[in-house]
Amino acid sequence: MLRVSDLHVYYGDAQVLWGINLNIAPGEVCTLIGANGGGKTTLLKTICRLLPTRKGSILLSGVDLKDREPHEILSLGLSMVPEGRRIFPSMTVEENLKIGAYIRRVWGKKDSQLEKNYKLFPRLEERRQQLAGTLSGGERQMLAIARALMSNPQILLLDEPSLGLAPKIVEHVMETVQAINQNGVTILLVEQNANIALRVSQRGYVIESGRIVMEGGSDALLNNQRIKEAYLGL
Amino acid sequence: MIHFSILIEQLINGLVLGSMYALVASGLTLIWGTMKMLNFAHGEFYMLGGFGLYFGIVSSHLPAWITLPLVLIIVFLIGVLLEKGLIAPLLGRPGWDVSAVVITLGIGIFIQNFAFKFWGGDFQNVPYMFEGTVKVFKMNLAWHRIYILAITLIVIIAFWQIMKRTRFGMAMRATAQDNEAATLMGIPYRRIYRITFGLSACLAALAGTALAPIFSVNPWMGSGPMIKAFIVVILGGLGSFSGAILGGLIMGLTESLSVLFLTSGWKDLTSFLLLILILVIRPSGLFGTKEW
Repeated sequence: MLRVSDLHVYYGDAQVLWGINLNIAPGEVCTLIGANGGGKTTLLKTICRLLPTRKGSILLSGVDLKDREPHEILSLGLSMVPEGRRIFPSMTVEENLKIGAYIRRVWGKKDSQLEKNYKLFPRLEERRQQLAGTLSGGERQMLAIARALMSNPQILLLDEPSLGLAPKIVEHVMETVQAINQNGVTILLVEQNANIALRVSQRGYVIESGRIVMEGGSDALLNNQRIKEAYLGL
Repeated sequence: MIHFSILIEQLINGLVLGSMYALVASGLTLIWGTMKMLNFAHGEFYMLGGFGLYFGIVSSHLPAWITLPLVLIIVFLIGVLLEKGLIAPLLGRPGWDVSAVVITLGIGIFIQNFAFKFWGGDFQNVPYMFEGTVKVFKMNLAWHRIYILAITLIVIIAFWQIMKRTRFGMAMRATAQDNEAATLMGIPYRRIYRITFGLSACLAALAGTALAPIFSVNPWMGSGPMIKAFIVVILGGLGSFSGAILGGLIMGLTESLSVLFLTSGWKDLTSFLLLILILVIRPSGLFGTKEW
């Protein structure tokens, strides 16, 4: 579904990603774990065309995203929940969701999309007229995810959804991610919290200093000695 | 003792003036709110509105109802082209907040001198769009002033509805709040910038057409309103639409009342005093930032 091959990315003259290869199959939950500054967010931003590519390709269902403008990515079926939620604080919850259905293909269907997402996130329906800036951290994360789902994506990229949330709420976010996956959405979950990410995913990649250093089934990674030491604190 | 009816008349004058300040300032605040840049060519779009009206009505003898939309469309297109050709290439580059100031100053100087060279420095008179007066409560009210109040009210309401309800308006607000997040929603924020710039120019031109019959048309007519608009925008809070409207009205009323109680020479002084006062008491303006 999403195939990243030999991707090289630079910030100015400094290279930050070195020959990344990534392959995500339709229907799976795949995770990308790694420490802060390892290149996780850079990789997601590059996939969404927010950062330029020096070399390599990003194929989404056979279409090379490299030739596309950042705002066209959504129409191709890829949606991202950015790090730090990035909801629109001065708009209401409902307006945030509606703007998630901005692309032409779904704008006409935004009311039925709203209904669908309210079913998945009843808490947001209770707060639909509230300004998004007044929501709690967990609610903001839910709103960011629901907003990304409004465009009816085939694949959803999540950047650090657990960041800054209490363990109980992280648990709830992860359950939601699994529920979304069961509705047929492929998921790439980027996390610093390796333990929880590997438990909801089927496969994982480990990124260090801009390189993929390990990949495999999530269970295998969970039991890997090096992963245990570096990421699980065991 | 000031006579009651004179006070009322000055209040209405203040509202008329204030609603024009509000129109010019809301264009300015729109650009700041969305693109995070100051537009020093804003007064020149006001001037283009005035000249447009002059060429349409006086030179070409077109009726006002044809001239007005024509002028607004032309100014919109000029705004869009200037944004596309001169401002967009600078956006996002290092130091563009300064380069945006320089380029808009340059555009302003160019338009002003273009007008001086080709249209001349004489003060041109434009007839009122609606002649005559109407008697309300023993007061003579010019139809043109009622027209100004009405058009401002219509524009404000229309704008508010567009921002709240339409796909474009919501995209504009999203872009203003976080353009990267807006991109992730599939919003082409560069195009939003362009249309915003055109609309902003349109608002200034509309004010120019409305005030041209009162003040007369010349190449420098835009500088005064632009400086006032900057004060209004700071008064209301940079980037706040309702702040610009309210700030405009406050400024118009302050000025017209100062004429009444002091002399007309104090008019500009009071508006700057108002600005200094606001900067001391509430530096972020009445509505702060990020309000829509």
